[in-house]
Amino acid sequence: MAEDNAVVLRLDAVHKQYESADRDPVPVLKGITLTVNRGESIAIIGPSGSGKSTLLNILGSLDSPTNGSIQLDGQELAHLTEQDLASVRNKKIGFIFQSHHLLPQCSVLENVLVPTLAENGKAPAGAVERAKQLLDRVGLGHRLTHRPAQLSGGECQRVAVVRALINQPSLILADEPTGALDHSNAESLADLLVELNRDEKVTLIVVTHSTDLAARMGTTHQLQDGTFASNAA
Amino acid sequence: MTSWSLVLNSFRYYARSHIGTLLGVAVGAMVLVGALLVGESVRGSLRGMAEARLGKVELALPSNDRLFRAELAAQLQAYLGADTAALLQLPGVAKRPSGESRANNVVVMGVDDAFWKLALEQPKFTEIPEDSIVINERLAKQLNVEVGNSINLRVHNPSQLSRDAPMAPIEDSTASLAQMEVFAIVSDAQFGRFSLQASQVPPYNTFVPLSQLQDAIEKPGMANLMLAGKATKPSDDPLGQAQAALARHWQLADAQAQLLQLPGDKGIELRSPRVFIDPPLAKAALTVDTNASEVLTYFVNKIQIGERSTPYSMASALADFEPGTVWLNQWTADDLQAKVGDDVELSYYSVGTMRQLEERTGQFKVGGIIAMNDPRSDITLMPDFPGMTDSENCADWDTGFPMDLDAIRDKDEDYWDTYKGTPKAYISLATGQEIWSNRFGSLTAVRYAQNGSEAQDALGKQLLANITPTDAGLTFQPARSQAAASVNNAMDFGQLFMSFSFFLIAAAVMLISLLFQFTMEKRTRETGTLLAVGIPARRVRRMLLLEGGLIAIVGCIVGAVAGTFFAETLLNALSTNWKDAVASATLTYHSSSSAVGTGMSMGFFVALATIWWSLRKLKKQTARELLAGETQEQGNPKNTAKRSTIIGVVLILAALGSIGAVLADGGQMSPNSFYGAGAMLLLSGLALASARLKRLANAGALGQAESLSLRALGKRNAARRSRRSMATIGMLACGSFMIASIGVFQKDAETGADQPTSGTGGFELMGEASIAIVHDMNNPTNREDFYSIDEEALKDVSFVPFRLRDGDQANCLNLNLAQEPRLLGMRPETLAGRFSFIDTMDGLEPGDNPWSILESAREALKLPADVVPAIADQSVMMWALSGGDMMKSKKLGDTIDYTDEHGNPFKIQFVGQIADSIMQGNLIIPESDFIKRFPSESGYRVFLIDNPGERTDEVSDELNVALADHGFEWVSTTRRLGDLNAVQNTYLQTFQVLGGLGLLIGSLGLGVVVLRNVQERKSELALLRAVGFEKSAIKRFVLSEYLGLLVGGLLIGTMAAALAVLPTMLSPTADVPYSLLGATLGGVLLLAGVWTWIATNLSLRGNLLEGIQKD
Repeated sequence: MAEDNAVVLRLDAVHKQYESADRDPVPVLKGITLTVNRGESIAIIGPSGSGKSTLLNILGSLDSPTNGSIQLDGQELAHLTEQDLASVRNKKIGFIFQSHHLLPQCSVLENVLVPTLAENGKAPAGAVERAKQLLDRVGLGHRLTHRPAQLSGGECQRVAVVRALINQPSLILADEPTGALDHSNAESLADLLVELNRDEKVTLIVVTHSTDLAARMGTTHQLQDGTFASNAA
Repeated sequence: MTSWSLVLNSFRYYARSHIGTLLGVAVGAMVLVGALLVGESVRGSLRGMAEARLGKVELALPSNDRLFRAELAAQLQAYLGADTAALLQLPGVAKRPSGESRANNVVVMGVDDAFWKLALEQPKFTEIPEDSIVINERLAKQLNVEVGNSINLRVHNPSQLSRDAPMAPIEDSTASLAQMEVFAIVSDAQFGRFSLQASQVPPYNTFVPLSQLQDAIEKPGMANLMLAGKATKPSDDPLGQAQAALARHWQLADAQAQLLQLPGDKGIELRSPRVFIDPPLAKAALTVDTNASEVLTYFVNKIQIGERSTPYSMASALADFEPGTVWLNQWTADDLQAKVGDDVELSYYSVGTMRQLEERTGQFKVGGIIAMNDPRSDITLMPDFPGMTDSENCADWDTGFPMDLDAIRDKDEDYWDTYKGTPKAYISLATGQEIWSNRFGSLTAVRYAQNGSEAQDALGKQLLANITPTDAGLTFQPARSQAAASVNNAMDFGQLFMSFSFFLIAAAVMLISLLFQFTMEKRTRETGTLLAVGIPARRVRRMLLLEGGLIAIVGCIVGAVAGTFFAETLLNALSTNWKDAVASATLTYHSSSSAVGTGMSMGFFVALATIWWSLRKLKKQTARELLAGETQEQGNPKNTAKRSTIIGVVLILAALGSIGAVLADGGQMSPNSFYGAGAMLLLSGLALASARLKRLANAGALGQAESLSLRALGKRNAARRSRRSMATIGMLACGSFMIASIGVFQKDAETGADQPTSGTGGFELMGEASIAIVHDMNNPTNREDFYSIDEEALKDVSFVPFRLRDGDQANCLNLNLAQEPRLLGMRPETLAGRFSFIDTMDGLEPGDNPWSILESAREALKLPADVVPAIADQSVMMWALSGGDMMKSKKLGDTIDYTDEHGNPFKIQFVGQIADSIMQGNLIIPESDFIKRFPSESGYRVFLIDNPGERTDEVSDELNVALADHGFEWVSTTRRLGDLNAVQNTYLQTFQVLGGLGLLIGSLGLGVVVLRNVQERKSELALLRAVGFEKSAIKRFVLSEYLGLLVGGLLIGTMAAALAVLPTMLSPTADVPYSLLGATLGGVLLLAGVWTWIATNLSLRGNLLEGIQKD
């Protein structure tokens, strides 16, 4: 039971293939099995077309597997409706994309608060305070009212990290989080992710090409032709 | 932070991107607000006209030829506490003494100061001086007169004895008022527009002193129209209140009756200035005293025994005599040397239709001789025949029919001098009523065996207690509520212009949809982010819809402001180029917050619905796809291409098949079948274009690789977003089809006008008289005797006469809804083979002459007594009686309510429908029913003339001169039909112009599609640039592929339209507006080309290679 409580994510023989009208189905994932414990940090690496992003989308319930099972905090995602999946994403998962995907019409603070609108269209009490604290923590306390266009790429990505954390998720999924950053900003963001994983005890799965970033994760999985080729501690 | 603040942030941030969508909304709202404001302005203008024509009048009592005492109005005024006025209103003709100008259909009104008090605005004068006349502005313009000029008037002289009745004189059928000096010209508000009939065209009104007009027609103290304003005594039923007041104050004179003390205490006699006592009055007279004696005295042409005869005598039918016998007075018996038992023949005239005199004879045996001093030899038995009673000599009699004056002997003159109209022969009442009764009555007097003024008063009261004013044709009408109904149910120009603006609205919807979609497509990643962070999809769509709603609100506000200018522009057009659409009515702009509010609301909902529709595809896209920036079109292009091809081919075959079938069948090239085939060709073209685009989009790389060229690549690019491309092709094709083919519905009055089955009925002239003609105009003798018409000029010309009950014009020339339409009474045989019947009611057998159903319907359909069958034009039934509301259109079998001359309600049932014709505006009923319902409407006022010699001008000139006193307005039937068609043709023209405008705006859509598509393809074009293509070559390449869409859309539309309008184009008298069509389609081609060029240049400006460098 204690072991089950420690498991955040469990994938069992997950397959994914894409259908096409005039061609044979294209398999992308071929039976991925993975167990992720609370507070773990995992890097998934692999060449282009190996299925990294597809896997991450499935982990984040943005896509569904063709076969296999995914459990998040013991809850089977395959059985959930679109509305329930949205709720799972909102409460239990934080996303960080390669491109920050901040809303250009909103300020830094507002962007962070966007996920809090899911419940009833209004940020709950305390959300603003938490957003400010988190932004302070990532060094953006002085940029609360700035728009994304007024920030650097690294700052934008840090805002995206805070947005991912605002609802205190149990899992953070990052898709090439440093892919669009220069070396210095990439280093800084990697520091931030490691620090959050350590301090907040939040589980972190990062899909990346960057060996530097992967090296800073607790576990690395190599994805090749739709399957995990090897694990490295 | 709330969802709403996020919506507001987005609205502000993307404000510039929303400008296009906002303008689309503004165009839609502008059109809707503008159309509704036009509707409100037309309604407001009509309301203003109704206010002006009725002033403060609430109720009216028109009695036409049944005159009542003018002082009755003053008595009712005191009782009701309402302003009242008595008028004498007569049709007439006005002309300048010099003859330089004239006006027919003039309404001559004798008025006093009470009349002007009821006007909206009282003129400066209160009384019109003797020999002076007040006219309205329209008449002043027609006659070109000003204050101080003189006018001659000829007016209809209402005869109490119908002009159709036997012994009705003809000499005094009109009266004249010469050298009347124009005292004032009154404005509309000063009752210049006064009329009880709803029409946007003011009548030619003239006002003269009441007493002078009464004197001119020798009816002192009488009136035939009473007006009443608002009563000070409140009542839930003002009409009932007025009718009750009338019943309380009226007298026998108002019921066209009088009680006379006969000389020598021979009793009291009831008689009528109408000569024949109205049946309701006769019934009441006999109810009062069942012992009363009935008298029917008639004029006989001849009393003959063998070779001996006595000419022109009175004969009475009384109850005292045996049927089959005739008693002669001594003088006649001596004249004829008659003795009891001799056979006697009485000859008399019976008046048939068109006042055709038919001499009939009755055979009798002499039953006895009455001495000249016998009380039965009674001079008072002769009623007051106008034109006879006061004559000095027999030779001066005006009996209304030709008399053989040579037959009158000296002894006859002596008899007249001594005994006047003392009857010479007496027959039984039953026989007399059998042979002399007519629609005006069957008694000329009722006698009571009472004497003295007290008995006379008592009888009068008893009579009035047994008859109602309505029985005597005196019924108040709710003039104001009728006017309100005719305005409120008038043709809704708001709806009309909304339908005319269909393409403008469609263009706006397309722009809103395209532009909003494009804005949303730019924000797919943002939408994906919202979904990814767990905002429920429904809430995301709602937020985007709210943002769209904000755009719609702002767009509607802009549109409302523009809409007021649009409305003023349309009204200006309706006063100039499109004036035929409103029958040249003067329209003024009426602002209306409700119209603006409704237009904005409609615009808002149209915009919001379009935005909602544009957002619906978000439902189908996942967060992952959106985050990846994907905006893929749905569906399997292979399958849909196949399906579209099949549909296209089937439609082509159906189009060709339908035409082939008609032609193979030897049938006429019916415009409808060609229009249907054209529409099928249009759909087929669109289906095939869609299939082609989908096939191009789906082209396999291997199959295409060998034939790859820049041109082929361009074609495939056009197919890249096939839905966008089809939206523009569809808009251009449908728009050009509708605009080009609508010309097929243009009506040309000249086409086939000489055919009896055409809208002219094959007649050349149509005429309407102010003053009725009672004689048969087809009889050359009548024409010569009564009108001195040059027979040579009218050789071979034939007339079809109609009786006319004036009412509201029920046609497209009247913007108001006709409350009581004009009725025409006719005999079916006169129109055999004329006009085209669309349908007749089930259960009727039209046979060779469908007009005969008017007479057979009563029996075939077992119509109740209170139902009169009628035939009307299709447009009258469909539009004019429904105020343009299809839902209220009249169908065969439907009825409308009407009131007869005696105030009795009856129903008019539609039993036949004819194709649009010159008869529009009228309901045609059988003459027999007409004279039964309206016995006082004597003679004929509407004529159709068949003139095989094509001497139309010569005939109309001759008739104008000969019938000048009747105020005839002759118009060629093609002009009349042309005037009626002009309304519909102008509607079509309006549709074409507004549709063309919509198409021009719709062509903007093509520019938008180009802009968006090229934006999406920037990296691809950059690649072309990178591999060495010149920028100008890329521009040409882009431009050519989109111009292909433009030309394709227009070609599909115009080719289909060409097929649809083929019969019209081939018609020798076709009136297809090629220049307007050419200008519209050319304008669309040019403008859309310009949009495409601008969009291409805008998209390709700057350094294209930056696109590829960024990638």
